[in-house]
Amino acid sequence: MFVLSGYEYLLGFLLVCSLVPALALSASKLLRPSTRGPERRTTYESGMEPVGGAWIQFNIRYYMFALVFVIFDVETVFLYPWAVAFHRLGLLAFVEALIFIAILVIGLVYAWRKGALEWS
Amino acid sequence: MNLAEGVQLVSLLLLSAMMLGAALGVVLLSNIVYSAFLLGGVFVSISGLYILLNAGFVAAAQVLIYVGAVNVLILFGIMLVNKQRDFTPIPNAWIGKLATGVVCLGLFALLGAMVLGTPWALSTEAAAGDAAIMLIGEHFFSDFLLPFELASILLLMALVGAIILARREFLPDEDLDQPADQVLTLPERPRELVSAGSTGNTADESGDR
Repeated sequence: MFVLSGYEYLLGFLLVCSLVPALALSASKLLRPSTRGPERRTTYESGMEPVGGAWIQFNIRYYMFALVFVIFDVETVFLYPWAVAFHRLGLLAFVEALIFIAILVIGLVYAWRKGALEWS
Repeated sequence: MNLAEGVQLVSLLLLSAMMLGAALGVVLLSNIVYSAFLLGGVFVSISGLYILLNAGFVAAAQVLIYVGAVNVLILFGIMLVNKQRDFTPIPNAWIGKLATGVVCLGLFALLGAMVLGTPWALSTEAAAGDAAIMLIGEHFFSDFLLPFELASILLLMALVGAIILARREFLPDEDLDQPADQVLTLPERPRELVSAGSTGNTADESGDR
């Protein structure tokens, strides 16, 4: 019994994905001129000058967006089986899913009113 | 052993090796950001194991929630508190290490005994496969309806609690302002405009144009 039937494409994608960085790095290693100037060590060559260190403390706002994202992510996972089995479930399940969404829309409205979704 | 079983065995071994290596990296690396990224590797390997067990929906949920959301939250949490401070060696640190070792070994022994003691009776029915999603949906709206609706209330509570905590509404103003100046390392407008609401935004946007 081949349990992975239907996952041949996934395996192909994994193969291509793992080949892409190796091929890109080795191709650029072959093609690029090997100079060792000070310009080469900058983060963005002929770009913006980076200011300060990269290991900085981030703003709390990113965490808030991530939290809101997690909650609607979980909601999506809950709604996906309902969408797949929609034609077998009928009207009552539709109403129940609407209740589920309505409770979460309350949270969205709260976040909106509190300004949690604004990048100010 | 035919080709399919060989593929399955090789995948299982590769995934297990990936998972164990990443888990060891999580524990052993001293840089906590690397640990967090390797934790994502552990989650991805677990989702691969779910695919091997013919549980595609669980694998997708694992990637979507654990890798996409929980691990990102952990990373953000690390980056929010990422202060480079040198840890001075504590005297008598070996007591703590000993206690940690005893607890970890005890937990390992407990889990090992449980794994060995459980009769792993495999179901003779065929795996549900892709029809599992439909079965989960039907269970959600028949006998698991109340937990399903309670989950939405739980999510609502988490959202409201996160907003209240992140906005720090219950802290006095001087506590809110002084650490915020040190925290704001990204070029952003000052914090007073947050409470000013939409009027401040429109003024700034018109000023930009």
